[in-house]
Amino acid sequence: MRIRVLGNLAILCATVALSYGMQVTKPHYAELTAPVPIDGAMHDTVRARSFDVRLDKVIFARRLKTDQFGQEKLLTTSGLWAVVTTNLTAVGTSTTVADGTWQGPTGLRYHQTERLGYRQDMPPHGVDPGLDKRGLFVFEVPPDQIRGARLLISARQFGPLDAQARISLDGLTIGADGQPAGILPEFDLDAPPSQGKS
Amino acid sequence: MFATARSKIQTWITAGAGTIAALFVAGLMGAFGALPAHAPPQLSPDAAIEAGRWRLQPVRAYVSHARVYGVALKPGQKALVLEVDMTNRTAQSDKGYFNVFTPEGIALPDPSPMIALVRDSTLTPELHPGMTERMAYVWPLAGDAAVPANLAFAVTAEIFKPHDNLYGTPGWYNPYRLGTVTLPVADLPEGGQPQSGQSGSGS
Repeated sequence: MRIRVLGNLAILCATVALSYGMQVTKPHYAELTAPVPIDGAMHDTVRARSFDVRLDKVIFARRLKTDQFGQEKLLTTSGLWAVVTTNLTAVGTSTTVADGTWQGPTGLRYHQTERLGYRQDMPPHGVDPGLDKRGLFVFEVPPDQIRGARLLISARQFGPLDAQARISLDGLTIGADGQPAGILPEFDLDAPPSQGKS
Repeated sequence: MFATARSKIQTWITAGAGTIAALFVAGLMGAFGALPAHAPPQLSPDAAIEAGRWRLQPVRAYVSHARVYGVALKPGQKALVLEVDMTNRTAQSDKGYFNVFTPEGIALPDPSPMIALVRDSTLTPELHPGMTERMAYVWPLAGDAAVPANLAFAVTAEIFKPHDNLYGTPGWYNPYRLGTVTLPVADLPEGGQPQSGQSGSGS
């Protein structure tokens, strides 16, 4: 009788311990439904689920010149402007690529700027299969978040279980002071795309 | 052995149930309403305020009678403007700063302010981690509204939850009154312009 009671208690304790262990190690909903990362490097074509993306060049500038509703605007920032030129194409059907995030070396996430208003070459980019499209993503980043950064591109901002291209920006030339080489004092977004170098 | 343990547990449960019932009945009858309420603390306008996801440094407050930072006013209206240096303390770009400041003791036609980036008058841009920007909160007021020389602004903060109760996602919830910051309010006459932080857009 006593052995049976002790045996039952032991089984109960083991069940409680096992259930508690499973509960504390259970991945959370946010992790289970996070975007699926697809890693790549600069100048490589990264194949996400609904689009392909190739990062062509990154230009850093202190000021950004843009034309807004027929008025010239000069945008300043407390960090640096990073203008990322990508080549986008759809995989199976026409779609849009709307979300770009600059992820610093320590994981800080800088979402694409909202200060430019609507422009043809800014997200959301409408892309079609078989047709290459030049798409810009513009970020405001502090200079210390450039070395070891990654660019995250996905079709929309909250896309659970959708693909997210993660392009490491290790091809950038960075000077000894931690600042990227060749910062332009001013970059004109409306100038022809040959301006500046990667 | 089991008999004594059982009687002990019974004693505990009975005593605990009695205590809980007493507290519950007292709560129902409003006994805790007699406790002294904690007034929100006064925050120093000279030191940075850590308010949840934002670090705030109030710069100045004034009343403007003309268009400020691209916010157009209706005829006969004036605007209460609060300029703040805001820093995003979180790890990602965010624009959840709409309810951070509330002017107290003043009648507002619309309690939600227009918020503009002082740098170029962009309305409600996202602020990026660690990049301090000067923001202007603009509350339109009736033209004859009296604004005290020293105005208190209530500061609201939120707490971070690593997993919210519905989806288990991290986020900022449960806004609470962090305190009150009192600033002198200057009155800029018609055509008067704020001295610093001119918008470069010319708009």
